[in-house]
Amino acid sequence: MTAAERDGAGGHLVRLDGVHKWFGDLHVLKGIDLELDRGQVVTVIGPSGSGKSTLLRCVNLLEEPTEGKVYFDGREITDVRTDLNEVRTHIGIVFQAFNLFPHKTAIGNIMLSLQKVLKLGEEEARERAVAELEHVGLAHKADSYPAQLSGGQQQRVAIARALAMRPKLMLFDEVTSALDPELVKEVLDTMKRLADEGMTMLIVTHEMGFAREVGDRVIFMDDGKIQEDGPPAQVFSNPANPRCKDFLAHVL
Amino acid sequence: MATAHVDKPVRDLAWLREQSQPLSLAAFGLGVLSLAAVILGTAVVLLMHGLTPYENVVRGFKSAEMTGVGVWAVGLGVAASALGWGTFRRMPTKVSREEAVAGAVLGAQAAVLGAVVLWFSEGDVDVFAFNFFNFEGPNQQLDAFLTGAKNTLVLALSSELLGILLGLVLAIFAISKRAVVRAPARVYINFFRGTPLLWQLSFIGIGIPLGLGVDISTYTAGIIALSLNMGAYSAEVFRAGIQSIERGQLEAARGLGMSYGQAMRYSIVPQAVRRVIPPLMNEFVILVKDTSLVVFVGLAAGERELLSVASQGFGNTFNATFFIYAALGYLAICLPAIRLVNAVERRMRSGLVGVTA
Repeated sequence: MTAAERDGAGGHLVRLDGVHKWFGDLHVLKGIDLELDRGQVVTVIGPSGSGKSTLLRCVNLLEEPTEGKVYFDGREITDVRTDLNEVRTHIGIVFQAFNLFPHKTAIGNIMLSLQKVLKLGEEEARERAVAELEHVGLAHKADSYPAQLSGGQQQRVAIARALAMRPKLMLFDEVTSALDPELVKEVLDTMKRLADEGMTMLIVTHEMGFAREVGDRVIFMDDGKIQEDGPPAQVFSNPANPRCKDFLAHVL
Repeated sequence: MATAHVDKPVRDLAWLREQSQPLSLAAFGLGVLSLAAVILGTAVVLLMHGLTPYENVVRGFKSAEMTGVGVWAVGLGVAASALGWGTFRRMPTKVSREEAVAGAVLGAQAAVLGAVVLWFSEGDVDVFAFNFFNFEGPNQQLDAFLTGAKNTLVLALSSELLGILLGLVLAIFAISKRAVVRAPARVYINFFRGTPLLWQLSFIGIGIPLGLGVDISTYTAGIIALSLNMGAYSAEVFRAGIQSIERGQLEAARGLGMSYGQAMRYSIVPQAVRRVIPPLMNEFVILVKDTSLVVFVGLAAGERELLSVASQGFGNTFNATFFIYAALGYLAICLPAIRLVNAVERRMRSGLVGVTA
C-alpha cells in the first residue's frame, strides 16, 4: 500500500465517497462517488435541479454533505478537525453571479484575501493582483468598481481573484449563465487558456460546445446521481445512458 | 428612412405664458394673493401692535385691522376657490388646468386660515395670548433654552454612538447559527423593545441607585438608558442590513479562505453599514425626541434638556409659551437631521454610495 493510497484519496486530487445531500426533505445528491486527478478538466452537464451546483459546492464544503466523505489533496476535509479556511485557500471558486465585493475596486477585490488570508504585504499583494489582472486582460480596469464593469469583465476579475490565491483546483459554477450572449466568449476564452496552462478544473456549465471542446471528461448528472462519465467524444456522440441521450437531444 | 432631428422642447417663461389662460392666471393670482394676505396681514398687524407684553398681542387680535385681514382673506380665498374650481375643467392646456386647480386650493387654504383668525379675535384672546403668545417669560430664559438644546444634543449624540456600537455587536450575535450565542442577544433585544423607555429610564435612574446603592446622576442614567434602548433598536436595524446582503458575498469570502469573522468584517459589515445609514439616522431623529422623557426622572439645573427647561418655566409661570420654545428647539435639531437623511437616501438610491467607497 503506497502512501497515496493510505491517505484515503488514492492519489487523486479530489475524491468524493458516497456523498449525499438533503435540503430539508429534498434529496439533492443521492450517493456521489467521484475522483478528480491533477491537471484534469472535468465538465458537469445536466438538466437544472439535477444537483450539479450542489455537487460542485460540496467539493470545497460551501455545502456540507449530509453523508459521505470528501477528500482533497490527501486529506479528508469532511473531518471536523480540518481547518476548512486553510483548505479553501487551495480551491478557487467562481460563481454564476460573480459575487465581487461591490465596495472594493477590481484590484481591491483581489488584494483583500491575499492580505487578510495569505497575510501577504501590501506591495506583494498588489504585484500579484496586477499580474492576475493582466492574465485576464483587465490590468487597465484595476481601479474600477464592479458596478463600472460589464458582466464579462466582472466575471474575469472574479476568476483573477480566485487565481491570485494560487489554487490547486478551480471550481466554476455556471459562470456564463448570467452573462449577455456577446460577453460569454471572453469568459470562456479565459477558462480555455487556464485549461491549456494545466489547471485542474471542475466546471458546471450549460455551454455544450465548450464542454465538448475543453474537457478531458464530461459528467452527466440527473436526479442527484452521476449518470454518465467519460471522454467528451463518447458522452456527446454515443451516450450509453438513455437520460443522457434524451438530454443531449434536447439541448444540442 | 432617416428620422428628422427633433430638439428637446424649451420650457421657459414665454412657453408658460403661452400655455396659460386669462381665467387660470386670475384664479392662481387670487389664490396666492389671499394666502399672502392672511399670513403676512396677521404678522404685520401683530407686529404693529407689538409682541411684548402679551397684552399688545391681545390688542392686535382685537383690532379692526385684524378683523379686516380675516374678512379679506376669506373673501379673496372664496373667490379664488370658486373661480378655480369653476373653470379648471374647461382649461385647454395642462399648465392652465394646473394653475386653476392651484388657485382653487390656495384660496381654500386662505379662506380657512382667515376664518380661524376671525374666530380667534372673537374668542377669549386674553387667555389664548397669555398662553401661546407670551414671549416675555421664555425670552428671559433663552440661556436656559440654549443649555437645554445643548444637553438634548449631548444626550442624543452620545446615546446614538454608544447604542450603535452596542447594536452592531448584538446584531452579530443575533444572526449566529449557534442558538447559545443567539439566545442572550434575542432576550436583550426583546426586553428593551418590549418595555417602555420611560420604565427603563425610571429603573436605571431611580431603581438602580436606590436598590444597588450606586451613585449615578440622572443625566448619566439618562445616557445609559437611552443607549441601552438604542442598542436594541439599532441591533434590529443592523440585523436587517446584514441579512439584506446577498448570500453570495459570504460565499465568495468563505470560498477565498476567509473565516466567518473575516468575511463579516471585510465583506458583509462594510456593505451593511452603508445600507443602514438612513434608518440609523432616522433612529437618531426619534432619539432626539425621546431624550425629552428624561424630564420625568428629574435633572439638576445645568443638566436640563429642552423639555425640562420648558416644564420648569411653565411650572413657575403657568405660561404655555415655554412649550412652544421647546418645540422650536426640537425642530431646529431635527429638521436638518431629517434633510440629511433624505439627501443620503436620494444619493443611495442613485447607486453612488456603492461606487465611492
